[in-house]
Amino acid sequence: MEIIIALVVLAVLAFWVISIYNQLVALKNRFENAFAQIEVQLKRRYDLIPNLVETAKGYMSHERETLEAVISARNQAMSGLQAAAADPTNANAIQDLASAEGILGSAMGRLNVVMEAYPDLKANQNMMQLTEELTTTENKVAFARQAYNDQVTEYNVYRQSFPPVVFANTFGHGTDAELLEFADSAEIQAAPSVSFN
Amino acid sequence: MFIAAVFTLILLTNLLVAFAFGYLGAQTGMTFAESVATIPIDSWVTISLGVIGVVIAASAFRYLSIRAGGRAIAEALGGSLIRQSTQDPQQRQLLNIVEEMAIASGAPVPPVYLINEPSINAFAAGFGLDDAVIGINQGTLDLLDRHELQGVVAHEFSHILNGDTSINLRLIAILYGILFLGIIGYGLARAGTFSRKNGLPLLAVGIGLVVIGYGGSFFGNLIKAAVSRQREYLADASAVQYTRDPSGIADALKKIGGHTSGSTMTSAAAEEASHMFFGAAAKKFSGNFMATHPPLEQRIAAIEPNWDGRFLTAGQQPAHPTSAPPTGGSVQSFAGTTTGTSDPTHHHLSSTVLPAGIIAQVGTLNEDGIAVARQLIAEQSSGLAAAAHDPFEARALVYAMLIDAEESIAQQQLALIVSDAEAGVSEHVTRLRPLVSQADHLHLLTLLEMAIPALKELSYEQYKRFTNNTARLITTDAQVEVFEWVLHRLLTKELYPHFEGATSTHGRVSKVSKLADDAATLLSVLAHHGQPDPQAQQRAFSAGAEALGLNLQHQAQNGFDYQHINAALAQLRKLKPLVKPGLLKACVATVMADGKVSSDEGALLQGIAATLDCPLPPSIYYADAN
Repeated sequence: MEIIIALVVLAVLAFWVISIYNQLVALKNRFENAFAQIEVQLKRRYDLIPNLVETAKGYMSHERETLEAVISARNQAMSGLQAAAADPTNANAIQDLASAEGILGSAMGRLNVVMEAYPDLKANQNMMQLTEELTTTENKVAFARQAYNDQVTEYNVYRQSFPPVVFANTFGHGTDAELLEFADSAEIQAAPSVSFN
Repeated sequence: MFIAAVFTLILLTNLLVAFAFGYLGAQTGMTFAESVATIPIDSWVTISLGVIGVVIAASAFRYLSIRAGGRAIAEALGGSLIRQSTQDPQQRQLLNIVEEMAIASGAPVPPVYLINEPSINAFAAGFGLDDAVIGINQGTLDLLDRHELQGVVAHEFSHILNGDTSINLRLIAILYGILFLGIIGYGLARAGTFSRKNGLPLLAVGIGLVVIGYGGSFFGNLIKAAVSRQREYLADASAVQYTRDPSGIADALKKIGGHTSGSTMTSAAAEEASHMFFGAAAKKFSGNFMATHPPLEQRIAAIEPNWDGRFLTAGQQPAHPTSAPPTGGSVQSFAGTTTGTSDPTHHHLSSTVLPAGIIAQVGTLNEDGIAVARQLIAEQSSGLAAAAHDPFEARALVYAMLIDAEESIAQQQLALIVSDAEAGVSEHVTRLRPLVSQADHLHLLTLLEMAIPALKELSYEQYKRFTNNTARLITTDAQVEVFEWVLHRLLTKELYPHFEGATSTHGRVSKVSKLADDAATLLSVLAHHGQPDPQAQQRAFSAGAEALGLNLQHQAQNGFDYQHINAALAQLRKLKPLVKPGLLKACVATVMADGKVSSDEGALLQGIAATLDCPLPPSIYYADAN
């Protein structure tokens, strides 16, 4: 008699634990998948940048250093993205991507400041189109990053809550996932307003 | 069937315990019958209750774990969502094919998952249309060309439309419950081998339970397999019917035959969901009565009677000419005159098309429907179509659809967007506004269906913000118009199950006459928005009431009261599935009383059909006038 009751209780407990495991796995998969959305937008951004630099080169022949800094930062960020996309659960890869993005952001910012001195360049049709597309892509990157961070937060919160926290380590979910924080690139993109009065 | 199975299990378990005690008794010198008699009656009851409890608990657990719907199955199989904004040409092609099929049938566009396996296979899962997903193997994308891919997608769509996916999910849950008994037995047996005192009986009971549990699930799998085989033939036939092109699915099957790994899946979770796949997922059971799919050769022969028996290897061209997507020529003749759709606000239905004929198309696909879908998609301006496929811009698209024509209201709405939506959204709304105002309601609602998968890619917080904003945009002018109502209905219906969990409503009401008032409300609203004067409205209403065969009270409407129609629909949703076509037929009869479908009527029909879970193909708006 007692065996039967114990059996049923054991079964319910077993289900509980199994469902915790399944939920951990599902949430982890979800934030890994959410990274793909950021990847799509970042790739588009990295594809636009060489075009931008090419167009600028024609006008800013003396600003080689600035342009080269942008290109090398962009290449660095590309490889950072590839590493992170291969394994979004790797906290180091995410951090590397974030810092590479930061360097790219400040390089682009310097480029914007320099471009202020070349009104012909700013009026160029191609350049206007490219900067417009870049801005749109910036917004989409921010949006995708927000979605990814939401998913990461959901995973972390669940992992840290009770009762999953008891089992998380044994199930192989021992560490929190890393949020993806870029320095606010939109602000850096906006050309500083210079007024002479 | 399930109850019979559980009953058998209880019986067998009781017998097992009897034998165990009998054996124990024999050791102490009692006869078998005597030792069995020493077991008190309530022990039998307890055992039986225990079995019932365990099986139900296990089934409930499995059911809950798949409550997230099709998405849960896709994730368990290791699938990764194909993003709507993907630039990969293979994936883009697949998404386009799925989109065409969905619009052609009037069903919501399902998200598509990619499984990283080299074999050729696909699956569809979900409780209903709104949480359905389609999964495709990488091998399928690599090895099949467009018309074969279309055949496979059509096959999967037929599973969704025929309700197979819902049955399959429940089968998984139920069989898991029966199997769990065996798992417990395994646990007991192991405990028996380790325990000294009660070792042997425990071991015996454990092994016994294993036999019962695994045996029970064996028979369950037999049933599952037999059912699945027949549904597979049906799905193949439906695929041929939908695409009017037997070569697509036949060639796909031939390529599976010619491929080394065929359709086998290496994922462990594939075994449990084996009946949900396009081809046999596990080699070991593919040849006999345990098979979840009919043999490959028989499937091909059923589609192509004069097949020469040879499989195709990837890269081989099939012997017959492949059918390219229909060009504009074949679509022109379908839409009537060469001037295209003449009247942007009215679509003309042929007076010879009966409501019954239209209703027969609910939940089906045909080649004409696909042609109409392609035309609808092609007619969208590229700016709008691109926006629909990007999660960021899709929201701006929906906001743009809700911007009022009157400028003062529009300014208020735009201010709301600037303050409460994310950075950059308002620029997109401003950009999309002129494009949106040029499109008619039918195209806008099609665009909404195209945008749903992108919206499903939002995170939960982003989704909440989005729904909050749309609600406030609608209520800015303190009125809810018909189009706004339909938009809100479709959004809620298709996004809510994805973000908040799928719910399946079981219809309980068996006759429309029991909900006569609600039906009257529905027909009155339809009549009001289709006809200008009260007399015509009365006629239209009577046409609908006559189609229902009921004596209904016409309720004169004063403007559009969305709460009233929401309440009516909430009740009418409870109708049993077989009764709903009758109601929809009456709605169509009301709309067609004057032989024309105004844009308000069309929008209302779509909203009503969606709420009742009846996918209405858009081809009804383009019925051939010849």
